[in-house]
Amino acid sequence: MTDAIIKVTDLKKVYGEFTAVDGVTFEVRQGETFGILGPNGAGKTTTMEMMEGLKMMSSGSVILDGKSVAKHVREVKSIIGVQLQASSFFDYLSLKELVETFGALYGQKVDAMELLREVQLEEKAKSQVKELSGGQKQRLSIAVALVNKPKVVFLDEPTTGLDPQARRNLWDLIGIIKKRGVTIVITTHYMEEAEVLCDRIAIMDHAKIIALDTPLNLLKLADGGATIEFHINKPIDVAGLKGLPGVDDAKSEDHVVFLKSKVPALALPAVFTFAQQAGVTIQNLQMQQPTLEDVFLKLTGRRLRE
Amino acid sequence: MTTRILTVSTLKMFVRNKQSLFFTLFMPFIFIGIFGLIGFDKPQVIDVGVVAQAPSAMTQTFIDALGKISVFKIHRGTAATEKAALQKGDRDAVFILPNDLMPNPTTTSAPVTQTVTVLQNIARAQQAQTAITILNQLLDKTTLQAAQAPTLFNVDIQSVNAKSVKYIDFLVPGIVAMSVMQMAVFSVAFVFTDYKEKGILKRLLATPMKPQQFVAAQVMTRLLVAIVQTFILLLFGMLIFHTHVYGSWLLIFLLVLLGALMFLGLGFTISGIAKTVDAVPAIANIVVFPMMFLSGIFFPTSSMPAWLQKIVTYLPLQPFATALRNVVANGDGFMAIRTNLLWMTGWAIVLITLAVFTFRFEEKRV
Repeated sequence: MTDAIIKVTDLKKVYGEFTAVDGVTFEVRQGETFGILGPNGAGKTTTMEMMEGLKMMSSGSVILDGKSVAKHVREVKSIIGVQLQASSFFDYLSLKELVETFGALYGQKVDAMELLREVQLEEKAKSQVKELSGGQKQRLSIAVALVNKPKVVFLDEPTTGLDPQARRNLWDLIGIIKKRGVTIVITTHYMEEAEVLCDRIAIMDHAKIIALDTPLNLLKLADGGATIEFHINKPIDVAGLKGLPGVDDAKSEDHVVFLKSKVPALALPAVFTFAQQAGVTIQNLQMQQPTLEDVFLKLTGRRLRE
Repeated sequence: MTTRILTVSTLKMFVRNKQSLFFTLFMPFIFIGIFGLIGFDKPQVIDVGVVAQAPSAMTQTFIDALGKISVFKIHRGTAATEKAALQKGDRDAVFILPNDLMPNPTTTSAPVTQTVTVLQNIARAQQAQTAITILNQLLDKTTLQAAQAPTLFNVDIQSVNAKSVKYIDFLVPGIVAMSVMQMAVFSVAFVFTDYKEKGILKRLLATPMKPQQFVAAQVMTRLLVAIVQTFILLLFGMLIFHTHVYGSWLLIFLLVLLGALMFLGLGFTISGIAKTVDAVPAIANIVVFPMMFLSGIFFPTSSMPAWLQKIVTYLPLQPFATALRNVVANGDGFMAIRTNLLWMTGWAIVLITLAVFTFRFEEKRV
């Protein structure tokens, strides 16, 4: 890969007896949105903070835009934008003053109003941070991460603690930044977030990367296929259902039938024909595609949020 | 440019923070106001009971003369009521005068020796003695006048314009020193511990800014505030309580800058030690309170036991307050306060060094 903007090689972080990050190696490509997914304590934030030059590396290296983070930390910091987990800002400054102050930290004059407009906080320009809602704080935090027009933006669990509406809102915003060609590295423990936002995802568990691929390819790892679920008005021959083309497994509880299928396109017409011949009416049919949650379960034998 | 904009932003934050304004201006205003109004140096009043049942016209004139003596507060009554008042402690002395104490100048009969009985309050012996001395003087003068003796001595009293150093003149420079200490220690200790706790320092470290730029902006803001604060408080004393500034303003400001630096070192040390904002007042008060009350801010240290005076002399606030007072109220120059300056410089070096070792902008590098 010649278009890698970040190269992480055998990166390790050891605190005494405890290894927080255990030799991770990956590349982030120019312009992509790269997700680091994993449960709390997997080492996502530590990995990211070493990439940002905030934490010392115990060993290994990070090369960002051709510069070693360990050796040229200030140069690297000037071309990245950072949103920290649960970040907080100065009280007693208006949002506009806050954005300008952060601009000054990069030695740059910024159009604070323009930045606030981008994150839909224009009408809050004169307010202080303590007057903002959780979602607004996160949007401000993204605006501040953009003051230096960074090449790479790091977002550490940007939607944790937000309500679904605010989360969608933030996804839209991240989508807009992505369209400008900015490379984004994002950590999350929300599967849905990773699926929606990321081009590629590294799944971390116990300080190691256990899988790295596009969301689609990762989903293939959960080889259980789709789950099809429907209600019936009278009993149906379950063994007959199992024998249908494309159906891998079938079971029935009361008036609900569950099917497993790797090829739903083949299975569904066959199921309908079978039911019609048996004089059974199918209602409330739902199909569930495998999710990253299933992938994680498959890879670790555990659920993601436990 | 970075440091300049940071300083401006920091100044805005400082001025908008009510807590820091309280320590910087409001509290010293209250202190100056309260202690200035109590006015510890008002002349003492001596309560004198005067008993004369039916004084003659001449005796009444004498009683009126007693009443004109400014330190006396005259209470009239019967021997019984005045004695009771003295026993209660409400009188320092009671004079019992015969009705015809003063001879009538129109009668030419030979003067008779009259007796004035004085009851003195032993518990207030000093005041009673003063009252008796004044009474004796007044009686002697009357005797001489009655005998028409020539005046042998004349006391010529000339008023000389001297510096009037009143309690309030003593107080105000001390309060200025104290409030510079409060401002420097509390504003830094609270704000930086808060930044540390909220992860703001970490967020700043994610920018290419150098930590020393941020610290420099914070320090410059505090130094500027110290100057403005000193000016406002001294002006407040001058306008409201007619205090004077006899020394050079330049020397005053230099002193205040050195004092502020010293206590900024202490403030950074405290925020280096404190893990949470809640811990700040506890740690800061342990250090600040004893200095506040023992460094001769409210009363001269000479009224304290000798051993305590010795200890207090070496605390950082004492040389600062003393030097500031000597410059403001006595008009001392640089050479006169050089020992204090030396102590302050020493403390500044010690406290700033301590701050460098305890205060961490970055997390510990493990």
